Order: sequence, then structure tokens, then C-alpha cells
Amino acid sequence: MYGNAYIDKNDIRPSTDVDDPVKLEEFEARIARGEKIEPDDWMPAKYRKTLIRMIEQHAHSEIIGALPEGTWITRAPSFKRKLALIAKVQDEVGHGHLLYAAAETLGKSREAMINDLLNGKSKYSNVFNYPAKTWADIAVIGFLVDAGAIVNQLANSKGSYGPYCRALERICYEESFHLKQGYDAFVALAAGTPKQRAMVQDALNRWWFPPLMHFFGPPDDLSVHSEELIRWKVKMMTNEEMRQEFMDQYVPKIWEMGLTLPDPKLRRDETTGKWEYTQPDWDEFFRVINGDGPCNKERLAVRRYAELSGRWVREALKNPKQVHHVPYA
Amino acid sequence: MSEAIKELLYKMGDDALVLGHRNSEWTGLGPILEEDIAFSSLAQDQIGHALALYTLLEKEFAEPDPDRIAFGRDEMQYKCCHFVELPIGEYDFSLMRDFLFDHAEQCRFTSLQGSSFAPLAALAKKIKGELKYHTLHGDLWVTKLGNGTEESHARMQSALNECMRFALGMFEPGEFENELIESGVFIGENALQQEWLAAITPIIEKAGLTMPDLSKIEAEYGGRKGYHTEYLAPMLEEMTEVYRSEEPTAVW
Amino acid sequence: MQNSLDPRIRRSDLDSASGFNQVGENENWETFAVFHQDKRGDAHVFVGIVHAPDPELALVFAKEQYGRRKKTVNMWVVRSTDIYTFRHEDEDMFATVPEKNYREASGYPVRKRINKYLHDLEEAHS
Repeated sequence: MYGNAYIDKNDIRPSTDVDDPVKLEEFEARIARGEKIEPDDWMPAKYRKTLIRMIEQHAHSEIIGALPEGTWITRAPSFKRKLALIAKVQDEVGHGHLLYAAAETLGKSREAMINDLLNGKSKYSNVFNYPAKTWADIAVIGFLVDAGAIVNQLANSKGSYGPYCRALERICYEESFHLKQGYDAFVALAAGTPKQRAMVQDALNRWWFPPLMHFFGPPDDLSVHSEELIRWKVKMMTNEEMRQEFMDQYVPKIWEMGLTLPDPKLRRDETTGKWEYTQPDWDEFFRVINGDGPCNKERLAVRRYAELSGRWVREALKNPKQVHHVPYA
Repeated sequence: MSEAIKELLYKMGDDALVLGHRNSEWTGLGPILEEDIAFSSLAQDQIGHALALYTLLEKEFAEPDPDRIAFGRDEMQYKCCHFVELPIGEYDFSLMRDFLFDHAEQCRFTSLQGSSFAPLAALAKKIKGELKYHTLHGDLWVTKLGNGTEESHARMQSALNECMRFALGMFEPGEFENELIESGVFIGENALQQEWLAAITPIIEKAGLTMPDLSKIEAEYGGRKGYHTEYLAPMLEEMTEVYRSEEPTAVW
Repeated sequence: MQNSLDPRIRRSDLDSASGFNQVGENENWETFAVFHQDKRGDAHVFVGIVHAPDPELALVFAKEQYGRRKKTVNMWVVRSTDIYTFRHEDEDMFATVPEKNYREASGYPVRKRINKYLHDLEEAHS
């Protein structure tokens, strides 16, 4: 599951490498014809760099995303929920694996990506820097965070880079189970005892603002850079388009259960078909992405711990003569 | 007779649930992504075995439904062995425990394929492929880490030494041992332990590890009678925290 | 981390790893390409890679990563370094293949030839 393909504006400066204009033209023509780019194709330096960052952030988000949900693995309240939650968190790890593999084809090793995560150089989705306080948070995450991820991933699966599209196709297939089991757990609570219902309403209040409203990122200013990324089919939808689609599909499902969302302004304008809502605090979005969210420290500390405690296993079977090889696909 | 079979199903189910629960604590935190995924499947399978065994209790003996069995009993009513209750420790311990447990479970279910209690024989046939994969996974890891670096060898040897008295506790004879054997339901814990030793010994040798001297080890018994280690009660409290927050009739 | 909401994390000594932020080169081992067979009679199809120290563990990992969610009867793994491939930029080598219809059954309009022969024959007799 993943949210916005957050693009750090400071990081998108014109590449210093000058791309061969003839090759650039062929590259753009290929994309315009609807053909996919494969790892060994010529590609503009900025295309490679942006994709690595995007896919890598997506991979980190899956691995870190396993942590808030993992919070309730040992406490899931029935066989069905216990098995589903373990399987879902396992899938998130599996998605991280597939996405790292897609990014590896662009030339960055998995070890280098893990290191950039551990030392804070590489970001992941903000949504996972918020705590899962009760069991109902698991239902809300499984339902709505995964729903958001599907909106984003379905769009990106139609992008131009072959290995990323292939990974996303499989991920979307698995996310549909995540969404369904999350929806099921959410409805079970909403249709449950007064205590269960209060629990899910509370979780909804905490997850709507800010994590879910921040999920797709701030409304994009259509800079020259994002136009180029849209032309190259790196970015398939604007943040606001994705947010609108998410609200279109899921707000009615929440209201249907008689639950409320903590935004008095939230309504769908029937004439424009657009959702009106209170803008969340975007300064907080940037604060959290830069490390100052409620759980940033813990998430990274846990990853460091997991990597360190598994190190002897990896070292024991490491082949000293091995050289790094970029996978073909 | 039904008391005897019930006792067998309860102890097998409780072992599988508690170990599956313990193993699931690694999900998302494993030593490398690929193994994180693989180990999580073992945990799911084991919890699935518990569900299947408790379902037999419900269907064949009118015991409570599987969720109530798993989440609604007191510590003394659990019949798991001490081995599965121990905390996960480091990965060496968790791998070694799982390897020793998976072989015991495989021996147990293989013998049960011929059980005179048909529903259990059918379950044994159904899950034999899963168990084959579990032992393949354990055999590979134990062999490779036993023959890996000095550190990994030392870790696996000390995990084996630490595990053995608890592992022998998996074969604590039950109250109805003779009845089960005579009626052809189950071959009995003693015979099972011999089969298990025959299965694990060559792997331990292949791993370059030394089998502890079993004549000097006293098995950790008591779990089958409801006496547990200090670790089970807090584990159950954690596992049932959400379940207990509502009436047992609540739907989650 | 005493204040974590996750009991698993509360039990872990996170401080022991506080300074750790560097995984070594090749610590995630090498990569193997995975080929998956849905059912007997079907071809094995490339589905992705796994990182593994050797082929045996690569197979175990492949089973769980690529076989846990769909029907599977068999798998192969191959060291990525043992795969040889053309470059996509050389795909023009294959460009004229569809035009070479002497290699296609459809390139041989036998029936048309027979019909013409029969037609000519009829004409000659009339």
C-alpha cells in the first residue's frame, strides 16, 4: 500500500547530464506510442533518477507500513482476523520485495536502498508515521489506507516503465484482498456493539485528519517538471485527481454505515462532481515527511533493529566472491 | 474413547496455535525480506492447523467453536508443551525450535494418516504437503547456518542445546496413551519420539552440529497436564486482549 | 522501546541498534530469476527475482514469494548471472520476421491454386 508519489521539489532540478536529443526524441516517441520502457533501454537521466526515487519510496512504504499494522498481529481477536492480518502484513513485505526488485533494474542495489532508508535519506509515505492505537485502527488502515493505495497504484500500473508496471499489477491484485478484508473488519465494527462502533468512529476521526487527507500529497502546482513527468508517464494522475477519486469511491461507503467524518465542510458538489473539503495542514505534511511525526523515530529504530538482528544470518551465507549484478527484469 | 481423542486434539491444536502465534511475531521483522515472507507462511499454516483441529473438536465432540477454544480458555485449560511457549528469542532459537517442532508435527501427522479416527486421518492427508515444505525449510536453514560462519555455527549449536530438554517435552505421554494406541487412533508418544529422533539426527549431523547427550537431559513435562512456563499466561493475556474487551458473542 | 504500542517492539532491545545504519555490500546476496508453472502442460514463465545465497534457498523463497497466492505446480530458479539476453535496442533484428510469409502456413494459398486450376480446366473444356 502506498500513498502519494511524493516528489521533493528541491530534488527536481534540471539534470546536469545533457541527454542526447535524438535518443530523447526516440524515447518520447516510444512512450507516446504506448510502448513500455525496459531496463536496458536508453532513458533520460532524470527519468531514471525520478523512477528510482519513486519506486524506492514506494518499497520503503510497504516495509515500514508493515509496522503500524504489525502492532496488532499478536492481538487480533479471532482466527479469521489473526490469519488475515498476518497474511496481509506478509503481503506488504512481499510488495516491498517486488518493488525493490523493480528499482534494482534501474541500477541501484537493494542494500543501497535499505541504507538510504535507515539513514533517513530516502522517504516513505507519511501515513505510516501515525500510531495504530486500537484494533479499530487496523480496520480503518486495512479499508481506507489500502483503498487510497489502490487508487494510486492502479494509476501507476499504466505508467511507462515495464518492471514497475508488472510489479504493480500483481500488487493491485493482492491489495484487492487487503481492501476487502479491511472493509469487512470495518463493517463488523460499525455494525457491532456500541463499544465497537465508538471504537471505529474514534479511529476514523484520527485517521481522516491528517493521515488520510495527506495521503495523496498537496495539490500539485503544474510546474514544467511535473508536465514532463506526466508526458513520460511517470506520474499518471495529479495528487488532487487521486484524492477526488478516493473520496468519490469511499466517502459514501463510510456514510452508509452511519459513521461521520470530522470535516464539516465535506460535501460533493453535484454540479461540478467535485468534493469540497477543509484543506489539511500542509505544513504538518512537510514536518512529518522530514522526520517530525508521531512515530518516525520508532519506525526507523525498528527497521534498524530488524536489519541488525538479522545481520548474522545474512553474513553467514554471504559469498565473498560475488559481484553485484543488475537484474534484467 | 472420546475423552482420549479430545485430549489428543486439544494438545495438538494448542501446540500449533501457540507456536504459530510465536512465529508470527517475526512477521515484518525477519532477517531478510525473502525469509520474512517464508517464515510468515509457516506461522499462518500452524495457526491454520490449530483452527482445523479445534474445528474437529467442535464438529465431532460438540466442543465450543474454535474462536472460543482459542481465545476463551484459562491458562490451565491449555495443553500445549512448554517448548512452544518460550519467547521467540533471536532468529537462531526461533529457527531451531521451528525445525524441531516441524519434524515432530510431520511425524505425528504422517502416523495419523493411518488413524482409526477417520476425520483426523483425513486432515493428516490434507496437510501433508504443507508439512513437507515446513521441514524442507527447516532442514535447509539448519544445515546452512550450521555450516556457515563460526558465529552461525556457534549460535545454532547453542540453540540446539537450549532447545533439547523442551523439545523432548513435546512427547510427554498423555493420560489415555494406551487407549489411543490399542484402538489404533495414534501410535503413542514414545514411538513418535523415536521416529522424530530418526528424522532429525541425520540433519543435525549434516549441519555439523553435535546432538546433545539425551541420557543426561530431563524432558520438560507438565504442559499436557495444564502446568505451564511463566511465559504462557502473559502471552494469552496479550493474545486475548481485544477478544476479552467485549462479550464472547461479539462479532469482530 | 518501552512506549511502543506494539508489544513485540516493547520486548525488543531497540537501543542496541541505535547507531546501526549501514548494511554491507552484497549482504542481501545475489539474485535468481524465478520461473513459475501454473499447471502441468503449461510453460514455465518468468515472474520475478529473489535474493538468495544459493539455488536451494532461492527455491524455498521463490515458493513463498511467487507461489503463495496462485496455483502452482512447479518452479525453476536460475542465477541471474547465468541468463544471456539481447538488448532491447537490438529488437530491429526481429523487425522483418512478420513479413517472411514463406515460413507461415498462410503463405501457401494452395486452395486458391487448385480452384484456379479447376476453373481453367473447366474453361478449356467448354
